[in-house]
Amino acid sequence: MAAGKKGFKQPTIILILFVSLLVSVIMALGIGAVPIPPGETVQILGSSLPLVGRLFSPASGPIVPSHFTIVTKLRLPRVLLAVLVGSSLAVSGATFQGLFKNPMADPYIIGVSAGAALGGTTALALSMRFRFLGIGAVPFFAFLGALLTMILVYNLARVGQRVPVMSLLLAGIAVGSVLQALVSLVTYFSESELQKIVFWLMGSLAGRSWDYFFLALPYVLVSMFIIWLHARDLNALLLGEEPAQHLGIDVERTKKYLLWAASMLTAVAVATSGLIGFVGLVVPHVVRLLFGPDHRLLLPAAALSGAVFLVWVDTCARILLPPQELPVGILTALLGGPFFLYLLRKRKNTLY
Amino acid sequence: MGSLGVVSVGKVQLEIEGISFSYGAEPILDQVSFTVPTGQLLGIIGPNGSGKSTLLRTISRTLKPYLGKVLFESRDMTTMSSLEIARQMAVVPQENQYDFPFTVEEIVMMGRTPHLGRFQREGPRDRRIVEEALRITNCAHLARKPVTELSGGERQRVTIARALAQEPRILLLDEPTAHLDINHQTEILNIVRRLNRDFNLTVIMVLHDLNLASEYCDQLLLLKDGRIFQIGTPEEIITRENIAAVYGSEVLVRPHPLHGRPQITLISQKPVPARSKKNIRVHVVGGGGMAATLMGELVYAGYQVTAGVLNIGDSDWEQARTLGIPTVEAPPFSPLTEETHRRNLQLIQQAQWVILAPIPFGEGNLKNLLALQEAAARGQRVIVIDRVPIEKRDYTGGRAEKEYRRLLALGALKVGKREEIYRLLEGEVSLH
Repeated sequence: MAAGKKGFKQPTIILILFVSLLVSVIMALGIGAVPIPPGETVQILGSSLPLVGRLFSPASGPIVPSHFTIVTKLRLPRVLLAVLVGSSLAVSGATFQGLFKNPMADPYIIGVSAGAALGGTTALALSMRFRFLGIGAVPFFAFLGALLTMILVYNLARVGQRVPVMSLLLAGIAVGSVLQALVSLVTYFSESELQKIVFWLMGSLAGRSWDYFFLALPYVLVSMFIIWLHARDLNALLLGEEPAQHLGIDVERTKKYLLWAASMLTAVAVATSGLIGFVGLVVPHVVRLLFGPDHRLLLPAAALSGAVFLVWVDTCARILLPPQELPVGILTALLGGPFFLYLLRKRKNTLY
Repeated sequence: MGSLGVVSVGKVQLEIEGISFSYGAEPILDQVSFTVPTGQLLGIIGPNGSGKSTLLRTISRTLKPYLGKVLFESRDMTTMSSLEIARQMAVVPQENQYDFPFTVEEIVMMGRTPHLGRFQREGPRDRRIVEEALRITNCAHLARKPVTELSGGERQRVTIARALAQEPRILLLDEPTAHLDINHQTEILNIVRRLNRDFNLTVIMVLHDLNLASEYCDQLLLLKDGRIFQIGTPEEIITRENIAAVYGSEVLVRPHPLHGRPQITLISQKPVPARSKKNIRVHVVGGGGMAATLMGELVYAGYQVTAGVLNIGDSDWEQARTLGIPTVEAPPFSPLTEETHRRNLQLIQQAQWVILAPIPFGEGNLKNLLALQEAAARGQRVIVIDRVPIEKRDYTGGRAEKEYRRLLALGALKVGKREEIYRLLEGEVSLH
């Protein structure tokens, strides 16, 4: 049971992915208008660590002061946010796919994203400029919108003590389309802020400060931990709810935890970076194709892969058309879609 | 095979006490009570909508009855957590959704879930149990295969293996053979029976195939409209009267030639069709199985059939008994007595038609020919089936042949094919 499809042991797969993430982060930090060699990036990162910082003193050459600022103040928070958002979307997507027993489910399936979009759009349209805990009005209202949508959809779908996934799906679609219409309405009536709104809705990590990262971090860690705790239960839920119950799982409670944790991940991702599509659909899918459907491997592998994927796509978004920034959501879809199709064509017989 | 109605005597393991269940206002189960001793193989049967699956799902606590309770070894199951129940009871549902490509081994390993802590990895003991479960269910060769690539029968076996990996003491199965071909049906049920016999596993299963239920179960619980119609051994439950009362179907019930359990044969049409032939009596003279099919066909077509003289234990006699038609019986392997001959004549006299099957003749049954001659001489319509030449079935040294020829000379109608008989009988209908 411990082996992935290729015969690698679980820890090996995770280790490989973790190293790729580390390498990706270091390389992404060096890429941009001012190129910084990876060795120097490592030095900069190392020297800013507490305690062990001294060990990274200039052995292979001195650190350029401006490079230090570029890496730690500009690129690092953005890259680390890409790590958080990428892994959040991938884990959220994997969880929803498991909960709905549908490999086509994604983090936006129950309308949480539409709520976030409405919150963010409204804040932009009204040009709200207050700051709260270091973040602006847009992510604040986006998060609020996502949270309220979660509560609404959950309670609409609830039948007594139970939350049937089918009614959750239907309530999510219904609420989502109403909210989507409201987003369009707000966008339609806000000519002055139109470009900002459109750009935000496409999803971007441009100009995100450390505040975003540190605000998002605890939500992401707690949610991921909760989902990780239920990895085995998610496996059983793929057999159906009744069989899962017959295996001794408290199905309704498990569903509730998973639903809230996955929605929280989506809410955090959308609030900090807008609507970045396809990561939450493609990454878990690809990971499942490569390593099999066991969530005990799938979840951490998806988290790491999602992070690697978004770090690279966001780097592309930064450098493809200098000095302009491309919305990262466009790129994820542009890259993710064809790759997804390629995989489907290649492995027709194992569609899921 | 064939241990007739052996009821394992075990301690009472499950007590179902006055369970009532309803979906909304519509009652599905009404005051159902019974007990299941350890090691019993109990089958739940009944027509569609009688509450079979609902009953099974209240026992597995998937559904909560609004009245009554289920006691597992004297413990009220509502006080047990789903985890505790999962360690005692495994369920094989009617349909299995295997949409994700887990390997068979992984699926079966999921059966260990109730025995593992949240962070506990599967150990050597778990792997041994899974291996054993795969072996018992003939799935060992499938271990590395993705479940998405299995056939229906294989999937069902894998599900049973998963249930076994739970190390349950009670196994519940909801129509485990639905949608399967006959070879897979028996394979699944043989596995279930082996589990029951070899591991003393208590089994409760819903089956809709009455013959399989009768063959495999120690006890049968017959449900009708959410109530227990009767509970007992297959011999007590599978009777013509019960099936008619619960299913509203006419069936023939006879023991299976190999294991002796009652088996039903469906009569798809009621024996009395609209165009009633009720008043037409046909007497069949048979023996040695030569008249079995004919008697069945005649009954099925709606004629009033009588038969004679048949030796007890003879296959024609069995058939006559299954069909429930008036028959003149004689002791096995004995010559016809004056008394049986007289009774045969009586039945012949009451019939509009008398048919002689192509039976072999010996000294013992020669009297049949004489009886038919009497009838023909009286002007009664006698049909003689001449499919096999009389010389070939005369074991009396020519006497039977002589009497046979005389019968034909007296006006008996000789026919070769069965259709000709019906043409003659139908002609009779048009006369009236």
